Amino acid sequence: MEKLAKTILKLRWLITIAVILITVFLAYQIKFIEINSDVVSALPDDDPDVALFKKIGSDFGGNKIGMIIVEAENIFDNDVLLDVQKLTDTLSLLDGIASVTSITNILDIKNDEFGFEVGSLIDVYQLPYSEEQLKQLKERVISKDMFNGVIVSEDGTATLILVTLTNDADIQTAGRLLIDKVESLQLKEKLYYAGMPMMVTAISELIASDLLKLLPLAFLVIAVVLFFSFRSLRGVLLPLLSAAVAIIWTLGIMALTGYTMSMVTNNIPILLLAVGSAYSIHVINKINQVKEADSRKAILTALSYIFIPVTLAAITTIVGFISFVFGSYLTMIRDFGIFTAAGTFFSALMALFFVPAVIDTFSFKGRKIKENKSEGRDSLLAKYLLIPLKNLLFKHPKYTLITWGVLLIVSAASVMLIKRSVDVKEYFKRSNPAWQAEEIMMQKFGGSKPIFVSFKGDLQSPDVLNAMLKTEKMLKENPNIFTTQSIADLIVEMSDALGEGRKIPSDRDKIEQMWFLLDGNPALKQIVSDDLDEGLIITKFASSDLSEKKEFVKEMKQFINDNSHGDYEITYTGMPFIEMKMDASLIQSQIRSLLIAILAMIFVVGIILRSISTGVYATAPIIAAIVVLYGVMGLTGIPLNIVTVLVASIALGIGIDYSIHVISQFNYSYRNGKTLHDALDDTITISGKSIFINVVSVSTGFLVLVFSEMVPLQYFGILMALSMVGSGLAALTLLPVILILVHRKRLS
Amino acid sequence: MKQFTYIFLSIILVVTSGIDTFAQDAQTLLSKMDEVMYSPKDKQGTVQIILTNRQGKEKEREAIFKQKANKSLYRYTKPETQAGIATLSLPDGVMWLYMPAFGKPKKISLLARSQAFTGTDFSYEDMATTPYSERYTPKFLEEKVDRYMLELVPKSDKSKYSKVVVALDKENYYPIKMEFYDKGNRKFKEATYTYERIGSYWNAKQVVMADLSKQHMTKILLTNVKFDQGIPDSVFTVENLVPKEEKK
Repeated sequence: MEKLAKTILKLRWLITIAVILITVFLAYQIKFIEINSDVVSALPDDDPDVALFKKIGSDFGGNKIGMIIVEAENIFDNDVLLDVQKLTDTLSLLDGIASVTSITNILDIKNDEFGFEVGSLIDVYQLPYSEEQLKQLKERVISKDMFNGVIVSEDGTATLILVTLTNDADIQTAGRLLIDKVESLQLKEKLYYAGMPMMVTAISELIASDLLKLLPLAFLVIAVVLFFSFRSLRGVLLPLLSAAVAIIWTLGIMALTGYTMSMVTNNIPILLLAVGSAYSIHVINKINQVKEADSRKAILTALSYIFIPVTLAAITTIVGFISFVFGSYLTMIRDFGIFTAAGTFFSALMALFFVPAVIDTFSFKGRKIKENKSEGRDSLLAKYLLIPLKNLLFKHPKYTLITWGVLLIVSAASVMLIKRSVDVKEYFKRSNPAWQAEEIMMQKFGGSKPIFVSFKGDLQSPDVLNAMLKTEKMLKENPNIFTTQSIADLIVEMSDALGEGRKIPSDRDKIEQMWFLLDGNPALKQIVSDDLDEGLIITKFASSDLSEKKEFVKEMKQFINDNSHGDYEITYTGMPFIEMKMDASLIQSQIRSLLIAILAMIFVVGIILRSISTGVYATAPIIAAIVVLYGVMGLTGIPLNIVTVLVASIALGIGIDYSIHVISQFNYSYRNGKTLHDALDDTITISGKSIFINVVSVSTGFLVLVFSEMVPLQYFGILMALSMVGSGLAALTLLPVILILVHRKRLS
Repeated sequence: MKQFTYIFLSIILVVTSGIDTFAQDAQTLLSKMDEVMYSPKDKQGTVQIILTNRQGKEKEREAIFKQKANKSLYRYTKPETQAGIATLSLPDGVMWLYMPAFGKPKKISLLARSQAFTGTDFSYEDMATTPYSERYTPKFLEEKVDRYMLELVPKSDKSKYSKVVVALDKENYYPIKMEFYDKGNRKFKEATYTYERIGSYWNAKQVVMADLSKQHMTKILLTNVKFDQGIPDSVFTVENLVPKEEKK
């Protein structure tokens, strides 16, 4: 080890310059990193539901529909209609926007004294003005399923403007352009933005603003913690510098390899800051502790001692992160695993190579051995926390065990109460306009999450169209489905207007000839293919409730089973079903990644400490901490979501270090001839201090996330801090008790 | 000083008369174009409509047409499923549609004039039989080697276009190209004309209309074109929409 340490110091200039050059290069790359918060794009393509959803999205443009909700006291008002028209006209001219549909241009099929018309609901050049005209419009809208609850809310207080982006449009650019344009019109109605593109735009902007706001804050907070721990500039600057380098490298490589920033990978910088700075803290702390007059000798001694523990700590943390690579459904979680593991590796690299190199390079003079000023503070910690703790453990090992036992039972029982949340809406705080927009969509337009039922077959055949109608009827029987739209509905409307009655004509010729008028209408692109061989029923599901979704899927499957026919093939997909998959995947991901992490941890720690049973003891406290974490989630209602699902495995990777600390220190003292009592005494006072500092600094780092604009990240921060405290506490209470009991047994 | 005033006034005179000349020219040129396009007493032939979408897929339609003054009759022969459908356009935007499966002709209201005409890239507005000079205010843009460039601004605010830029063949005043601009003043459609001489008239044998944003294209081919066949007015009546054999 000493040889390696010497080499590091010998190559100090090379290391320092190499780090600077690589950092400059990668920092430049970060400029090109893209933010992508599109949940749909993070779904795995090999899932048939997802594949169909993506295919329908690109074939029919359904994934690219943004919605502007215009809210007013009464939509059927000339001023409001004028504003809607203004919005419709203005937006349709924007780049990246393929079409805009609103009450002022929505397709309508009429038959009146002027003749038969496949045209629009309102003549845009003669907007209804008089009370009579407005009343007529209102009556028409209310009487038609095509409009009521689809384009205007049933209570007449809100209307939708549907904006379809072009296939090649960048969602965020187009989304932002759209919002800016709308805002610039300064309309008096209340406006909200909903739908996938708008949501993705909103999340991306939150990700960007979060990064800009939280990262400096996290640096500041950790700087304060470091200052109180080291009370030296070096102690503050070096850990922050090495964490910053690790963050830059990680993000730079992400950009270079074409990975994007998602709402999960978004927390990589803060995570690396919290985790990564700890390694440098260890190294600097050790260098400070070595009582050696010569600076270089001090570094050498410290480095040869600290090299292995820091490497091990990094390995266990990396194992925790790697577990996501194998256990996740969403690609963004897999990416998170890969890059946090890489970042942790860089952090350790910085701590072990860069930090000593810099200290060596910049300390020319011989150093003064500092009187340990912090002795007083430390003894306070020892006096009021560690020593009483040690006494308690010795006097009442069983009580400690029982307390943990009760805590674990209560927690385990509460695990069943854990809620799961995959609803994109829940990413936002309630005060966020995006949340409110989704809420209005839910209340007034039956939700914003589309369901697509695809019919493959001859869309001009009366049988196929009647089957579509039957399916729509079945769908509408579900209490969570308010409206449906399909080409079959339009054919019925046309048939009615042509005097054939409200039904699908039984004569195929009639349907074929209707296409003479329908052909080329832009509104049809979203419901029927160009070749008329695939048609969609588009509907929305209003509930986020899992059991209701499950019930619906059951009904749907049954219906398709009962109605399958050689002439057509019915398939269905939609956001609610994908959310069900995500929901199931949350539990699966959680179990799988946690299991992988635990087994790997027992194995790694077993090898490190040369005993698999020790590996099991070491893992016990952190598992206990994780059970408590789940208990807290169950009791407080903090849901398992795509971000909080990460906590357990990360906590395992970081928290295991505390156990390793405790066991190493205990073994060291015990093997050096100390009694069980004294060995534990050493362990709790020596390891207790470093664990305490580490828990405080890492938790504070994570707690910064409480200021995030995104709810899952807030929860993530709280839960990470909680699990750090929990695993620290478990390592200092549960683990010693286990050690006492194991050794007493052995002794007796 | 006096001399200066003279010079000044004559400059103004020259300039303004120049403007006037151009305006005159524009109006004259457009009228000439109308004359060339609408001069035959009547016209009949076969029209083939080929639609090409973004993926290069083609759809075909065919109709036999008859045209006289501002009335026209189209009887579709292809695709087979729509064979027999006929449309009759009469002055003042009145349009009748006959679909054999439904028996009776239906009057179609043309509120949405800017709407695409049954799947093509032509809107009802483009299909109008009213002369251009009645629908647009022309402005002379420039003179090129083989063509005049005119800018046409729609007289009606109901038009989907902010302007149409027309390239007019110097020799025969037939449009070579028309570029359509949306209300945001972006070019979004483009029509290219190829023409031939039939008897004493020039006739567009091919018109290609491309929608630039939708990357969709409509090609119109005219064949068997005959002029001045003395088509009687009775052809352009609602009764005549229904073929005789069907009526029996």
